[in-house]
Amino acid sequence: MLGVGQKFPSFSLQATVSLEKGKTFSTITDEDYPDQWKVYFFWPKDFTFVCPTEIAAFGKLNKDFADRDAQVLGGSTDSEFVHLAWRQNHPDLKALPFPMLADIKRELCAALGILDPQEGVAQRATFVVDPHNIIRFVSVNDLSVGRNPQEVLRVLDALQTDELCPCNWQKGEQVLQVSV
Amino acid sequence: MTFHELLDSIPEYAKDLKLNLGSVMEQSELTEQQAWGTAVACSLAARNPQLYGAVLAEAGARLSPQALFGARAAAAVMGMNNIFYRFRHFASNENYGAMPARLRMQSIRTHGADPADFELWCLAVSAINGCQVCVDSHEHAVRDKGLSEETVLAAIRIAATIHSLAAVVGAESAAAA
Repeated sequence: MLGVGQKFPSFSLQATVSLEKGKTFSTITDEDYPDQWKVYFFWPKDFTFVCPTEIAAFGKLNKDFADRDAQVLGGSTDSEFVHLAWRQNHPDLKALPFPMLADIKRELCAALGILDPQEGVAQRATFVVDPHNIIRFVSVNDLSVGRNPQEVLRVLDALQTDELCPCNWQKGEQVLQVSV
Repeated sequence: MTFHELLDSIPEYAKDLKLNLGSVMEQSELTEQQAWGTAVACSLAARNPQLYGAVLAEAGARLSPQALFGARAAAAVMGMNNIFYRFRHFASNENYGAMPARLRMQSIRTHGADPADFELWCLAVSAINGCQVCVDSHEHAVRDKGLSEETVLAAIRIAATIHSLAAVVGAESAAAA
């Protein structure tokens, strides 16, 4: 599977973004959200037990992620219509503030190397990706183990507290180039 | 209070400052964005709400939203960094320099204004807050980004004038109240 320092794969996927008629689906690519950090998290199957808890937990922290210039994107190998049905069906998912990616052809999950060899579905993987689309953090839980989004937020905070100010120069160091 | 009303309210004993402010905002070494961004950043750093409000109102008519945002972001982030890095510089224990800051300073990357001008505003604020390390490092950064020593000193003239005016305006308005 892809690891820290590697480029997040290119993709173009249908996503479920809303329950509002006519606005339910949208195409999302790796080029969307430029200048933003991205938090991608995948779950094995819609309509299972562990998933809504952690998806709702990411939803509750969405504003905290947004404050840190980070876009949260959930996803599984289910279709966008299954995502929609699940959101309509589950009270905790109705107001979900971030898109649910539908990797129905399994291309993104395969490129990431997170397809479970037995089940053929996405493993419970989390990627924090910087504004240059470079993976900066990866974790994978066993299919049955839920995630702690608060921990992902802590990691993002730590990744974003690099000392960007030239005041941090030590004598003899190269000039810090802040990319804009 | 508008910028011109503020100028008119400056007492006789501080006439030098009043006249300096008029002239430092018109220096040919600075673009309008550099000059007014410096004034916004410095008046925020100098902690006088009336002066800041008057400068901001005047600058609002002259600067793009990105430049206004960047100037204020420079004052905000340097208000923090000047204290943090100055502490490292003040303390003779060099171990602090090897320990991570663990402070968010993302606005240095995301401010959206001109990078050279942003550095200039950071430098002017550092001069006000009095951090030698920050003054030195941002002075290098500004000139690496192509600005001249004349431009640097022109911005520092604004910083010096605004800093003193903030004290005068604050003290006189408190005394009159």
